[in-house]
Amino acid sequence: MEDELILRKVEEARKKRLKEMWSVFKNNRMAYLASYVLVAMYLMALVGIFITPYDPYDFDLSRARQAPSLSHPLGTDELGRDILSRIIAGAKYTLGISLMSVTIGALIGVMLGLISGYMGGLVDTVIQRAVDVALAFPTILLAIALIAALGQGVVSLIIAIAVSTFPVYARLVRGSVLQVINEDYIAVVKLLGKDPWYIMFKHVLPNITSPIIVQSTYYMGLAILLTSSLGFLGLGAPPPTPEWGSMIGSGRVYLFSSPHIVVSPGIFILVTALACNLVGDGLRDALDPKSRMFIRRV
Amino acid sequence: MSLARYLIRRVVQVIPTFVGALFFMFILVRVLPGDPARLIAGPEALEEDVRRIRELLGLNKPLYVQFVDYMVSILRGDLGTSLKFGTPVINEILNRLPYTIALALVAESIALSVALPLGIISALRPRSKATYISSVISLTGSSVPIFWIALIFIYIFSVSLRILPSSGADSPRHIVLPSITLSLLLMGNLTRITRSAVIESLSSNHVLTALAKGLKYRVILIRHVLKNALIPIVTIMGIQIGSLLGGAIVTETVFAWPGIGSLLIDSIFYRDYPLIQGIILFIVLVFIVINIVVDVIYALIDPRIRDVLWRTS
Amino acid sequence: MGEKVLEVISLRVYYDLPQGTVRAVDDVSLDVRRREVIGIAGESGSGKSTLALAITGLLRPPAKVVSGKVLFNGVDILRLSEDELRRIRGRKIGVIFQDPNTYLNPIYTSGFQVAEVFEAHRGIHAKKYLNEVVKLFRLVKIADPERRVYAYPHQLSGGMKQRVLISMAIAERPDLIVADEPTSALDVTIQSEIMDLLAEIREETNTSIVMITHDLALLFEVADRVAIMYAGKLVELGRASDLIKDPLHPYTKALLSILRYERKKKLTSIPGSIPSLINPPPGCRFHPRCPYAFSKCSKIEPKAVNIDGRLVACHLVGGSE
Repeated sequence: MEDELILRKVEEARKKRLKEMWSVFKNNRMAYLASYVLVAMYLMALVGIFITPYDPYDFDLSRARQAPSLSHPLGTDELGRDILSRIIAGAKYTLGISLMSVTIGALIGVMLGLISGYMGGLVDTVIQRAVDVALAFPTILLAIALIAALGQGVVSLIIAIAVSTFPVYARLVRGSVLQVINEDYIAVVKLLGKDPWYIMFKHVLPNITSPIIVQSTYYMGLAILLTSSLGFLGLGAPPPTPEWGSMIGSGRVYLFSSPHIVVSPGIFILVTALACNLVGDGLRDALDPKSRMFIRRV
Repeated sequence: MSLARYLIRRVVQVIPTFVGALFFMFILVRVLPGDPARLIAGPEALEEDVRRIRELLGLNKPLYVQFVDYMVSILRGDLGTSLKFGTPVINEILNRLPYTIALALVAESIALSVALPLGIISALRPRSKATYISSVISLTGSSVPIFWIALIFIYIFSVSLRILPSSGADSPRHIVLPSITLSLLLMGNLTRITRSAVIESLSSNHVLTALAKGLKYRVILIRHVLKNALIPIVTIMGIQIGSLLGGAIVTETVFAWPGIGSLLIDSIFYRDYPLIQGIILFIVLVFIVINIVVDVIYALIDPRIRDVLWRTS
Repeated sequence: MGEKVLEVISLRVYYDLPQGTVRAVDDVSLDVRRREVIGIAGESGSGKSTLALAITGLLRPPAKVVSGKVLFNGVDILRLSEDELRRIRGRKIGVIFQDPNTYLNPIYTSGFQVAEVFEAHRGIHAKKYLNEVVKLFRLVKIADPERRVYAYPHQLSGGMKQRVLISMAIAERPDLIVADEPTSALDVTIQSEIMDLLAEIREETNTSIVMITHDLALLFEVADRVAIMYAGKLVELGRASDLIKDPLHPYTKALLSILRYERKKKLTSIPGSIPSLINPPPGCRFHPRCPYAFSKCSKIEPKAVNIDGRLVACHLVGGSE
């Protein structure tokens, strides 16, 4: 009875904390604004293909490399495709790939971190050594190595970025688990005789969601930059996909005569990544202003 | 003596990580893409050519034999032969290394010369312009697509103003644009870390003691604030230099800077697997070595860490 | 009665916080004579540490001196420039802080950190003064001083670190030492050793000591006079022997009865808790917890009255004005 009461109290405290976090976040005007920008960008990714003024794939060399005008607000690219339409349609790729890979990376990392922190012992050692290996690669290098091995394409891109993000989650979650696990209420739950998986998901995980969310927000920004960098290098989404980085990559040849081709997709990448970082900062400050455990970009 | 012992211990410690990385690369290159010989030869190649390549690379042997062979040859410093250039991989890497080192050092110096003063001033004067500038720089550094800002710089300085070359490494002027671009990326984190490290150090109690002694402000700042703030700054510097020495992949590619990063991208397009593998291993090795160096620097700064690290062996 | 080394006159120190203004020290006056050990006692949050920082000129924002004077050898240190203040700190006023573990810089040797006091006031790099530090270490009874000057803080015990901090405070033979809870972070056995050491140092160096603590038992062992603070106010000030024999203020009485009752217990056992310093209770700040409170107490703030050299701020004492 009393145990149930303690658990309910913990639950209430958690909800209260989330509420407080949210109100602090809302008071941070930049972060709040940035969260709207992010939502707008993702809406664009969701419905983009239906609202493009032109067909993003329809090329016509006769109108190639036109400067911005009323009919083509951001101009046309090297094949005469409308850049605005391509950016709108491309949001799906740049943002979608980033979201997918961060989600997968987070899932794997969180699982490994939970197991590692909760089980301890040999399992912990093995997982942490694997994480060591992954961390021995600079982020973009790991992604490039994977793409070199898996071959080019959207799927390998997602895998590559996911693999390069998971180790930090595993570390972060393991650390948080080790902190949480010593709290009294976990001992209470253990006494109630629940099995370890139940405890991990029902009682440990909810208590470490906030740091995971903060880290994921930063990683969204990082993943957007990674996705577009790889696209730019020609290792990302293959042509004619209107992925933003790929657009810049194929347009860079015409930098001298038609800089507008590379300028606008870059601005979209910049704004989205900036929004992610601002929201991340806002959430971090709301969570714990002093915290330095998060990695924005290395 | 104790430093040497510590170094040996650290090297022994990272061996599993390095072997793990080797194994990972090995698996990646030999198992995942199906038949690397086929990949190298290309889809139109004759079956006989594929077989020849397979034998050339030792791909017909059992996997574990291949791994042992591979380990042994790496221990001998033999990273294999580049398919594209026909030269030892290690030579290709060493040829490109000076360029990568030059770019890394120049970029890190530029970043430091901006980030350190800015971070320190913004920590000391929380409501000043410096604070505002440093938060802008810090956000920019982590949000700007580096390849894009590189193109913008090329457009401004090479195309419009025609004052700086946009690609290659023929003269000292060629390093200006790539290093500035790269430094922008480094500056953000460096400024942010410097600022928070100095703020934390400023608020520590021993600074109050230093004030109570009647020490001059300048002495307190240097001895009791900045030196204590050095550890996080050195860490981030180490990570940055470590990843840069492996080649600033994107920056080098945009500016056609002949370093290791652009070599890696080229080798990927040539499907030069031995070269790809060699470069990646080299980068990982550099990264690991830098981590050890950073640890040694820690120990030099902080006697507590020194005691813990050097005595437990 | 010796000359006055320090004179605090109607000092008010407020903290401007987003939640409101905290009146940490509110109209406090006291003086310290040569060779005197004066104790300032009170619960945590009574403003005694703020007072200590004000005396040493170490107040940082958001703390702000609103009014009053702190005369040190006749000079108001609140009006001094940062550089003039610097020349006094460490040379004329030594400070001993609460927690020896965090008040030493971990990355320098203990000897070097003490030698910095000499560097600050005599010029020449601190390294040149290590021989003098050895003598100081001997004075504060650090065993094996020749070796210990080269020890880093983490290689020393808590008590040893506190001795290092004390040697720092007395290095230049200051006229005044301000000790803010010098023993609260130490083991009980070491606490009295440190107190004895401070008493000895007073004998040897003729310095005055302001000792701030919440541990009355220790305080009465060494202090000549004791000031009791409550919620930013000085409620009673008098000779330690008088106070212990015949406390006048109800708060002092409460403190002492706890002390007699359970010698080792800290001062947390008075019913009620220390009031908010943002919105202190009207009238006498102690009245909500005072067993003798009557109607006047919640309306009019009692003024300190002088009774045979003792100051007491209570409506029950000294009658009406």
